Formats: sequence, C-alpha cells, structure tokens
Amino acid sequence: MEEKVVRIAGAQGFYGDSPLAAMHIVQEKAADYLMHDALAELTLSILQKDRQKDPTLGYARDIELLARTLYPAAFSSGIRIVSNSGGLNPPSAAARVAEILRKQGLTGIKIAYITGDDLLSRIPELHKQGIYLNHLDTGEPFSTAANQITHANVYIGARSVKEALDRGADIILAGRVADPCLTLGILAHAFNWPLEGQPSQQDLDKLACGITVGHVIECGGQASGGNSYAEWPMDYPIHNLAYPIAHVREDGSAIFTRLKSQGGKVSRNTIREQLVYEIHDPANYITPDVIVDLTHIELKETGPDEVFFSGAKGKPRPEKLKLAIGLFGGYISEQFFFFSWPYAYEKCLKFIDAVKKIWENLPLQIERADFAIVGVNGIHQGAAPTPSRQWLNEANELGVRVAIRHADERTGRMAMSAITCLGLNGPPGLNSMPGWGKTNRVKLSLWPTLVPREIVEEKVEIIET
Amino acid sequence: MKKIRLMDIASARSGDKNDVCNIGVMAHTPQDYALLKKYLTAELVKRHFNGLIKGEVVRYEWDCIEALNFICHEALDGGGSSSMRMDNLGKNFSSHLLRLEIEVAD
Repeated sequence: MEEKVVRIAGAQGFYGDSPLAAMHIVQEKAADYLMHDALAELTLSILQKDRQKDPTLGYARDIELLARTLYPAAFSSGIRIVSNSGGLNPPSAAARVAEILRKQGLTGIKIAYITGDDLLSRIPELHKQGIYLNHLDTGEPFSTAANQITHANVYIGARSVKEALDRGADIILAGRVADPCLTLGILAHAFNWPLEGQPSQQDLDKLACGITVGHVIECGGQASGGNSYAEWPMDYPIHNLAYPIAHVREDGSAIFTRLKSQGGKVSRNTIREQLVYEIHDPANYITPDVIVDLTHIELKETGPDEVFFSGAKGKPRPEKLKLAIGLFGGYISEQFFFFSWPYAYEKCLKFIDAVKKIWENLPLQIERADFAIVGVNGIHQGAAPTPSRQWLNEANELGVRVAIRHADERTGRMAMSAITCLGLNGPPGLNSMPGWGKTNRVKLSLWPTLVPREIVEEKVEIIET
Repeated sequence: MKKIRLMDIASARSGDKNDVCNIGVMAHTPQDYALLKKYLTAELVKRHFNGLIKGEVVRYEWDCIEALNFICHEALDGGGSSSMRMDNLGKNFSSHLLRLEIEVAD
C-alpha cells in the first residue's frame, strides 16, 4: 500500500487576498485541504470597527465572495476548508456562510466554528483571579481604561481544528487560531497526531514539522515566488502566481510544490525566504502546541518546483498562551503632495516649511509631525543615503509626505484643511492626490501578554446547511 | 580589504511582530554564508539603520539554511497601526539591509 500523503494548499495569505489561485487548485483537484489564513496581527483591530457598527459583523468579509464561488467548487470535489476567517465573530461567520450556501441549494454541508479565544468580556474576571496581564516585553502592569480596549484575543492551537475535522466538518471558520496551527490541526486529524497529554519526542517532532509546514504556506504566494528577493528579477509570471501546496507524510516530512499551469516558482530559495519570515529565535519558535527548533531542518530541491522538507524538532508546548489586547490610542493623519522639475526638491522644502508655519499659527494639538520627501527618504527616513545636490536638482518629480499624530479628530481635520491653500499659494505646480492619504485614521496599539492556558474555554460548534 | 554589497551575496526578507522587526538574510552560497557570519554583526546592522532601530539588535545563526536572522527591537515606531512610518510593517527593512557594504579581507 502506498504511504498516505495529505495535500494542503496555502490558499490565502491575508484578509482580502485573491481567491483565483485557490480556484485553480480546486479545479485541478490538487489539494485535499485549503488552508486560509485571514488574520494578520492587526486584522482583528480592523474587524472590531465592523463589529462596532454592526454586532453581526466582525469576521473577514471576503468569505461572502468565497462562499459564492470557491467553497461550493471545493465541496463538490471533496476538498475541505480550514480558516481563521471567523475573526472576532465565528458564529456570525458560520451563519452567514450557511445562508449563502443554502441560497445556492447546497445542503448537508457541515460548517464548524470555534470560539473561546475572545477574552474581551473576561478581562475583569481575569484580574480578579490574579491574572494581571503584564506586558510581555516590558513587564509593565496592564492598567488601561476599559473603553480603550478594542479587542482581546488569545492565540489558540490546533486542538479544535482537529476536533472539528474529526467530527466531519467540511469547512471551519475559526477565530484567533495561531496561523500555523490551522495546518497542524489538519495534519493532527489526518494522521491522528496527539496534541494533548504528554507526547513522545517522536510525536513532538511530528508536531514541529506540521507547524513548519503551516508556517511556510500561511502567507500564500510568499512561498511560491511572490515578494521574492531570492528569485529577483523573478523570471516567471506573477500575475497568475500559483500558491504553495504541501504534500505531507505521516512522519511530518513534506514536499512543497505548486500548480505548473500557473505562474510563480517553488525553489529552495523561495521556501527558505518564507521560513525566515517573522521568526525570532529559530531554535525556539513558540506556538500554542509545540516549541519548534528549526535549526536542523533539511531543505532540498527534488525536482522542478519541488522542495523536500524534514527534520524540525519539537519541545513541549508552553504553559502559557499569548493574549493580544488591542488598544485605541488616538489618530494619525497623513497626506501626499508632488512637484515636478525644475527645482522639485527645493519646492518640496519650501512646501514643508510653509506647512510647519501654517500649523504653528493654529490652535492644533499635534503630538508629533513627520515630514519626508517621497523619492528620497519616504521609506527609510534618516537611514536613507543622501543624494547629491546635482541629483536632487535634476530629479523629474518628488513628493512630500506629511504625517501627524493627535488625540482629537478636530486637529486632524483642521490641520489637513489648513494646508490645502498651498495648492494656489505654494510652490509652482503642486499636485495633490485626491483619495490619497487619510485624515483621522485610528491609531491602535497592541498589548501582548501571557495567560495560563487553562483559562481558555475552547469550543467547537457545527451547523449543517 | 575589499567592499562587498550584501545585495551581491545574499537575499533578505523582513517582517513585523508589533514593534519588533526581523530581517532574515540568506546567503547565495556557503562561501557567502561564511562571510555573513564573520562580518555581518548585530552592531553593524543597528548602525546601518541610523536611528530607525531604537532598541537592541539580536543576531541568530541559522546554519542549515545558510541564513542569519536579525531581531530588531523598537524598530517600527510603535509597530502596526501605531507607527507613523510609510513602511509601518518593516517590509523594506530587508531592502535597506541589502544595500549595506561589508569590508572583507581579500
């Protein structure tokens, strides 16, 4: 009998990612599971704004499109879907997907949602229990007024994903399941890997490999030739980039590949490049289910667009889980303005000087103002090399970016409207960009902390269409 | 001594975790990796960013994939949506690092 191989596609790398790559994977039946990672670190803060306006929202709204297009196609091919697109509101996400599927006449589809990661309403209770939510990095005690908290979600592991698949779910809409644990849950289900209790070293190594596979595919096209310096100048099509697919064996080893019918590239370089992404200590990559040592892995090309991986080592899972609390912290307003040759650089300087003087003479509560010249030091600020006088004088076009931080919305509105007069009063030929920049963008910060895993009350619910 | 630009011997990818930016630097060849290990120190990285990184820079060696991983603390002006930077997620920290020149023995 041939050894069992589970095929998992990294179908989505962020909330709003294109569904086309996943559609091709479904059409070619090239995966058994689609893994959708919709939650970046700040996505929950964005979803919170939706939930504030409408309590039935708070999930990644691209599932509405996916439920009309991708999901039915996947189900008809027996492909199951695992996502954290439930965001802050997995029950509502499940209800919405059920409604859309039923409208298309799809019955008997099992939609699972996972709850328990949202601790927003439990913060006072935690305090009473003596869980003080001190800052993970600085140790500072948590003492912010409750009305400043936008969300509080704990990163949970793979347990409920496995349970939902064990119970026959066709699609899972989880909340803050840690990105790579979506994949680990699929593998724990498929190979019956133990997530609880006291796993053996061999089992820990399998879990570590599962996490590594999940980490590689969790950013979609970033593992298959997108955003790549390693493959620059990217001598392959990127408009139709194929997303990564992992073929995983019971021992945790895997082959990363992609659809050959589409663009992109899977090479040792593209996989390495994604491996290092947002990892800190490679010997101790901490996840809710296992601590992973990535320093002895094997990574080799076994064919065109095929990379073999094995050898991650596991250490027992941490006793505490990471809780990320979102905090409201005022506003940021920014705007862009452009000038052309001649004297583009000097026009920018003159413009900045005028903006400063206009703001000085108004009753504004600006906490900080940043000025940069786009084309010179917009991205790298003080670290950018200084161009020569001659280059600056001959530049065909340069831009100004102004950005301010402030506590009240009035300051943002007044500061930005007060400088529009420079369109006529300023240096010659100003181009302002309607729709660019933003006034009164909400400034959110994250407060990371640790909580004992026992306090989390994870639950899987399944509804059937 | 001769100067080598990192772009010519390595690739890089950077990303954010709150106010921490990590920059993974991957050597093109094992020989290039030996140069990175010898010359690309955490201090040099911090200096190259000329004030953008306020906190400590920690270097991890990752031999099996010929990579160094730099963890830059207090690097993103508060990070995420707190940051006032255009590059608020540090996606271009990799680009800036690849511009660095290291001086190596002939």
